[in-house]
Amino acid sequence: MKVLQITPERCTGCMRCELACSYVQTGAFQPARSVIRVSPFEGHTSYAPFTCTQCAEGWCMTACPVEAITISPVGAKVVQNDQCVGCKLCTIACPYGTMFYNPETQKAFKCNLCGGTPACATACPTAAIEYVETETADWLGGFAAERSPRHLERQVAMAEAR
Amino acid sequence: MAKRHVIVGGGTAGLNAILTIREYDHDESEITLVSAERPYSRMVLPYYLGRSIAESHVFTLTPPRLAELQVKTHLGRRAAALHTGANRLTLDDGTALEYDDLLIATGSSPVRAPVPGADLSGVHSFWTLEQARGVVSQIREGAHVVMVGAGFIAFTILNAILGLKARLTVVEIAPQILPRMLDRPGAELVERWLTHHGVTIRTGAALTGIEEDAGKKHLRFRDGESLVADLVIMATGIRTNLEWLKDSGVRVNRGVLVDDHLRSSVPNVFAAGDVAESRDLVTGQPALHAIEPTAMEHGRVVGANMAGENVTYRGSLLMNIVEVCHLDIASFGSWDDTTADAFAAVQPERWAYRKLLWRGNRLTGAMILGKADDIWTTNDVGMLKGLVQSGSDLGKWKEHLRRNPFDIKPAFIASGTTARLLPETILGRPSVPA
Repeated sequence: MKVLQITPERCTGCMRCELACSYVQTGAFQPARSVIRVSPFEGHTSYAPFTCTQCAEGWCMTACPVEAITISPVGAKVVQNDQCVGCKLCTIACPYGTMFYNPETQKAFKCNLCGGTPACATACPTAAIEYVETETADWLGGFAAERSPRHLERQVAMAEAR
Repeated sequence: MAKRHVIVGGGTAGLNAILTIREYDHDESEITLVSAERPYSRMVLPYYLGRSIAESHVFTLTPPRLAELQVKTHLGRRAAALHTGANRLTLDDGTALEYDDLLIATGSSPVRAPVPGADLSGVHSFWTLEQARGVVSQIREGAHVVMVGAGFIAFTILNAILGLKARLTVVEIAPQILPRMLDRPGAELVERWLTHHGVTIRTGAALTGIEEDAGKKHLRFRDGESLVADLVIMATGIRTNLEWLKDSGVRVNRGVLVDDHLRSSVPNVFAAGDVAESRDLVTGQPALHAIEPTAMEHGRVVGANMAGENVTYRGSLLMNIVEVCHLDIASFGSWDDTTADAFAAVQPERWAYRKLLWRGNRLTGAMILGKADDIWTTNDVGMLKGLVQSGSDLGKWKEHLRRNPFDIKPAFIASGTTARLLPETILGRPSVPA
């Protein structure tokens, strides 16, 4: 299936993905409701977007007590709003932190790959997010591990200096 | 002859076992479901109480669904005795069912405080659909509801009661609320939050009796205090439904002891859900986890094994989440391990609390409180679960988290936890929707 392939080295931290995602998903530009989330690394000197991998287990889907999460034709695990009661079991079952809850609608929400034309990938000006036929992977782990140690050491040094 | 599976119990474990058998065997086997109630999801009863869903929304295995899945049923019947030597189950109406394999998934029942008046009409449990209907029919706007017990089940219905504009007092015998989900600092934060939202909380309150007078319930406490209520809900714990296994030969400790394939001491008898004492994912020890996600995982693993697959259960991760007045409360794994290395921090102005428990550089338990409209909360809830589930070595991040227990996300990402989790599935293959 096609997945969101993230190349974190290309991310400039412009946040267009969060704006596009929230606009397509909710009809308003509100990054707080985006299901792709740009994280800073190395003390805000680099950035990378993190989102649902549409994992094989589908922890959110199997945990749902009312079968409100199904697989869409493009292979995304999607929340059926008319079935979701807002019990939040999916938010603790998902081990990636990519299952969210909207207090206004009292429903869970997550990445649904925008039905096959993901807005984040379209909006990304540097192709840090691409929608391509490949195996999903831990796109950010290596990038973050490489960029974190200096920052961690600096923080530890600062804490010790205090 | 087609293999004959008997499923005893129509809750989450039984439902998932049936669906999983059918995922594998394409209707080749014979499935018989014995269930005392029409199958429904207990997890969603609070939303029925709060009128946000219709009663019809709670049902899972409806008659058309059962027909589609080709499941024979004995609904409204209870298992009376299991004769493992003869592979025969006897029901309470005398019906005898022969099986090739059987699943024990009879769940739990509520227990009331052992005090005079606990069985008065107007004193309710909130566990079964029938009991939920009882509360739904009695609760009125402006009524004073006294909740006896401040555990998880009580907390799942606080929002519904407040939403119906009833006045609410919660009394708890323990010195804190949510004693099996939170430590003292966490509980104190939640108590302040609830008080702030108009709920009266009384901890350390030992109920000694309930009397009825002019339609009101008078609750008496050991310290001489009393309360007058229109409606009393008792959420004072549960016990496993195992009486019918007496003399069956199935080994029972606190629950039915099962191996890593969820087989009991009798090889063609499985157990799942609240009644099954299976491996705790974090400690590796046998544990009874009466929680929805474990019932689901157990049910699926048993279903696969009943269908002839060879699926090993990796273990149950204890976890609970409940939201009260838009405050999320969650805990994972060995959150109450007093011998673990633990860091905690509170941000009172954001109503946020994190506690991280460690064995070496691995997270073995976690507790999290935060406002539900704070995206930070839901994000960290999932990632904390992932860190405990994966047992990732957090290396240098441990020291970072000691200084800032709120900075979960970079530790999760940089520790390669996603890579550890991606190959993990319960059945050893991608899931399919029900």
